Amino acid sequence: MSFSFSQLPTKEQDWLDAYLDGTISADDFAALQDRLLESPALRSVMRRYLSLDNTLQNEGADSGLKSEMATAPWLSVDTQDTEVAPAKVVFFPGLLKLAVAAALAFFLGTMVMYFGSPQGDAFPDRVRADEPSAQGFAVIERLFDVDWKAGENSREEGEMLGREVFRLASGVAEIQFFSGATMIVEGPAEIALKSAWEASCLEGAVRMKVPPAARGFKLQAPATEIIDLGTEFGLVVKDGEGHVEVIDGEIAVRHRDEGEKLLVKDDALTLRPDAAAAKIGSGTVAFPDLTSYGARSENKNRSDFQRWESHRDLLAADDRLIAYYTFDEDRSTPLVPNLTVPRNTELDGATILAEPVAGRWPGLKSALEFRRPGARVRVNIPGEFPAFTFMAWVRIDSLDRWYSALFMGDGYETGEPHWQIRDDGTMMLSVMVDDSRPNPKKADDAGFHRVYFSPPMWDLSMSGEWLHLVSVFDPGSRMVSHYVNGSQISQQEIEDDFFIDELRIGNAELGNWGQPFREDPTFAIRNLNGRMDEMAIFKVALSGDEITRLFEASRTDRR
Amino acid sequence: MPPEAPSPTSEDERYETFVSRFAHYEPDLRRFIRSLLPTWTDTDEVLQQTAIVIWRKFEQYDPATNFMKWACVIARFEALAYRRKMARDRLVFREDVLELMADEGIEEVDHRRHEHEALEACLHAMPEKQRQFLTLAYTPGVKVKEMAEEAGSSAASFYMRLKRLRRQLMECMETKTDHTQATS
Repeated sequence: MSFSFSQLPTKEQDWLDAYLDGTISADDFAALQDRLLESPALRSVMRRYLSLDNTLQNEGADSGLKSEMATAPWLSVDTQDTEVAPAKVVFFPGLLKLAVAAALAFFLGTMVMYFGSPQGDAFPDRVRADEPSAQGFAVIERLFDVDWKAGENSREEGEMLGREVFRLASGVAEIQFFSGATMIVEGPAEIALKSAWEASCLEGAVRMKVPPAARGFKLQAPATEIIDLGTEFGLVVKDGEGHVEVIDGEIAVRHRDEGEKLLVKDDALTLRPDAAAAKIGSGTVAFPDLTSYGARSENKNRSDFQRWESHRDLLAADDRLIAYYTFDEDRSTPLVPNLTVPRNTELDGATILAEPVAGRWPGLKSALEFRRPGARVRVNIPGEFPAFTFMAWVRIDSLDRWYSALFMGDGYETGEPHWQIRDDGTMMLSVMVDDSRPNPKKADDAGFHRVYFSPPMWDLSMSGEWLHLVSVFDPGSRMVSHYVNGSQISQQEIEDDFFIDELRIGNAELGNWGQPFREDPTFAIRNLNGRMDEMAIFKVALSGDEITRLFEASRTDRR
Repeated sequence: MPPEAPSPTSEDERYETFVSRFAHYEPDLRRFIRSLLPTWTDTDEVLQQTAIVIWRKFEQYDPATNFMKWACVIARFEALAYRRKMARDRLVFREDVLELMADEGIEEVDHRRHEHEALEACLHAMPEKQRQFLTLAYTPGVKVKEMAEEAGSSAASFYMRLKRLRRQLMECMETKTDHTQATS
């Protein structure tokens, strides 16, 4: 028979909650444990309750709020929520950064609302505006030359938007609402997104394109509501004053307590909060124009990419390279060609479960994503080397694993490298010094070696950012160093005990460490949750200057 | 004559089998481990460690037997090892308690899965805003105490609300699974 939670004595119920919240006192915890030994009912309910906690934790970690809209009195500020089309919920699992930021902003907002505020009605606008629902109803379609306001998280193409204020310092963003309406915003701008059918322009220049399916889309301006009756209009709000103009089609405008005005092509109005709407001539205000931005941005992108291509060809001819992969060739084969010149196909890699995705120049350059636990690229690199320099362009989405692999020797045998990132954002480089000798510090460790750590160089705020990572193992100068984006972040000495200058690779993996053949107690699932679009391995220690030059030559503005 | 060394392909295949099987049972295993340890992070660490041991011993696993039970026994052992390492942490169960919880928990894996399904349904049926509140309270990186204070409220009243919603879900889940539990 099974016991339910409510059948437990109140005291025991309270213990369980306090245990879950981590607030239980030492005495109560001791009492709880004593009681657990005696009471099968408590044990059974506690396991069930912990399992429930586990599920909630999973939901929290997944962060998407998954079902249809419903309202609850404690949070409701208005009834517009019910207008939000519930059917379209899109998830972008890689966007943890957004999720956490949204969660925090939402959380603050809801806390204020739930617990009330001394200012009463003075705050709802702001709270509403700051309340990004995880229930997205719009998506950032494209971004051009954007800069984000200080203190704002940067956004990326493909990110979902919910109830929130979208702030842009400069550049142009194209936002696609799930109603079908498209908004082109030029910064500096502040747009409060309310639903798939409604937004408010607090500042900035906006061009709305409303197809028949989205007729009725509402855009608010100071003291004004604009209802699009089809096609296209522009709105500029600056210093609390608005200008609206119909580019094509028809809109309805309600300004203050004036009646509804219908505007057609080339009609334009000035909207002041303290005055009646006044007709003005058309063409007095410039609305954002995507075509010029798009062309400019594409040209820049293309020339950046071409610059990188010539850099790649030069680098491939560098005879200090052991292997060089750019993950950018024929997608029809699982092979990742080694680009070193003269071409040595023996060093080609084999892709397993890793998926081709957009690289640093989307549409022009691809990358490999190692999101799935079994994802990896296998290589076999024979030979003996006097030093190692590892260089990679990596986009980390999140550090889910205790260790996320960059480049790992399979068996971690004498002379083999491990290059990886710990979950706190620390870069790690190690070479097995002697696999037959126990590690004096950790008896159960793989063998005698030392891990050289950098300070943490990554946190969630950098999720989705392309990074140039370099680590150097240099027996010549007895130094191990780590670089991020061309700058050295740490350097440590190789002590006598840990000296080794006969380095090997053999069978190895990029992006994972799938095959710990030997008795190694460390962790086996190490796939990198992210992308890699370039990886070079040198048999020499590159100097700091060279590494900076490599970074500069291969970087992109979209980094 | 010694057995042939496995070819790279069969090694790969074995690994893929392991990955797929492990991925399939990971949620069950995580729930099991969670019932033995104080926090999500602890659970993660033991789960990782368990995964490695399972992989290392995967050759010894007899496919005719119950994979989940076999995995739970390994997880139980890893949780105990972890407990010894973390014994100073005040919320870690004593060894005898942990063993008892584990031994009974191994028998409840199927219950847990039913309950989990029921819970998903309960969560689904819950008013959106309440669920958002819960989900966000459980979002990694959200520090309940700080957020409550920042919002000008006490952590205590926040925990009260959290507790109430959690218990509500528990009740819903228990009601939904009552009949399924009676059958086993």
